[in-house]
Amino acid sequence: MRTTMIVGLVGLVGLVGLVSPAVFAGDSHPHRVGHQVRFVGIHPIPKSEGGGMCAIEGPHVHIYAANKLEYRTHDGDNYFVGDPVAYNYEGPKYAYKGPHPIHVDAVVGGSPDTEYCYIEGPHYHYFRPADDPDFKLAGDAYFYVGEPPHAFVEARPALIGINATYRPLVYTRPVVEVDAPTGWIGARAEFVTPGVVVESPGVGWGHHDHDGVVVGGGAVVGAGIGVTIVAPPPPSISIGIGVGVGVGVGVGGGAVVHERGHDRGHDKGRHRGWR
Amino acid sequence: MRAPAIARAVVVVGLAAIGACGNGGGNAAREALIAAWKTGGLAPSAFAAVKDSPVGTDCQAGTVNHVDVMVCSYPSAEAAKAAQDLGLQWVGDTTGIATPKGSLLIVAADRKKADPKGTTINQLVKLAP
Repeated sequence: MRTTMIVGLVGLVGLVGLVSPAVFAGDSHPHRVGHQVRFVGIHPIPKSEGGGMCAIEGPHVHIYAANKLEYRTHDGDNYFVGDPVAYNYEGPKYAYKGPHPIHVDAVVGGSPDTEYCYIEGPHYHYFRPADDPDFKLAGDAYFYVGEPPHAFVEARPALIGINATYRPLVYTRPVVEVDAPTGWIGARAEFVTPGVVVESPGVGWGHHDHDGVVVGGGAVVGAGIGVTIVAPPPPSISIGIGVGVGVGVGVGGGAVVHERGHDRGHDKGRHRGWR
Repeated sequence: MRAPAIARAVVVVGLAAIGACGNGGGNAAREALIAAWKTGGLAPSAFAAVKDSPVGTDCQAGTVNHVDVMVCSYPSAEAAKAAQDLGLQWVGDTTGIATPKGSLLIVAADRKKADPKGTTINQLVKLAP
């Protein structure tokens, strides 16, 4: 009986721990106040809180959680590493293709901190890369061509799920139509997604080879079905039978966007920090 | 010989007078901050001294575009930074900031949900001189 009570108590404590905001990212900060969750930099606002983007660039608090796939902890604050355009962000933006490091301190100040973005396809961030020779600009998009640090590779399995989060989101992604520079991380064996993705040419998350055949995330051989959902304008869904093994779903922008972010050239990505 | 002594006395009396007036530099900095908000297009209310504020001994509070704001002055930038957590306690369970700017601490709490995208709160810091 006593054992049962103890087990029950332990279970209850565990359950409380699970539902407590303390389990969310950012809870490691030693100075947590009430239900506050600390953020730094702009980030999406949950739909339940009105949606859109929070414009506060410096450290601030909200009463909602940050998820672990789209945020990294920087000096105890949650820092958004996803694509803000997916959340109707309309400010300056810079196109990237493939995974890459983010020098967080160059964007929001604070302690030196390199985090990693694992989005595989073309995507945007609201910041340019910091001065780093391992980023190459091609077709108005930044490609990371450096040797990925061990931490970059090691954390990938836990964070690669961000692609599953973004894949269904319908928004205008950058369309990058140039060949990736030599050494691009997206072509490295350790950064090829397990599984199969097949897309129609022209849109989506895969990377296009010279023949316009989309090769995304792993070995693609044989015949299969590709499903591509094309974002507006105009909204449409096309289903095609292509070459490849397996079934893939790609979501891409309907327009080719070779858009230069506003302010490009300004402080070379070393935005003035807030601290 | 006598003249320097008088000069020293004048300096001492002057410093004492500044001390008696409280944090004269803090008030000037706070006024400059509020003026910068106005110049930047924000609409601050009148700011009034906060008695017994847990955040600091020299705090004034008001609203800016319906966001609750308190500006506290400290003897040093380090002291202002050290008071951040006290500022966040004042914010409570809502969106807010406690951001040091020099020897001032800008504390803002969107208790009325007047700033759902955080644009006003962002401007409070961006416009600070």
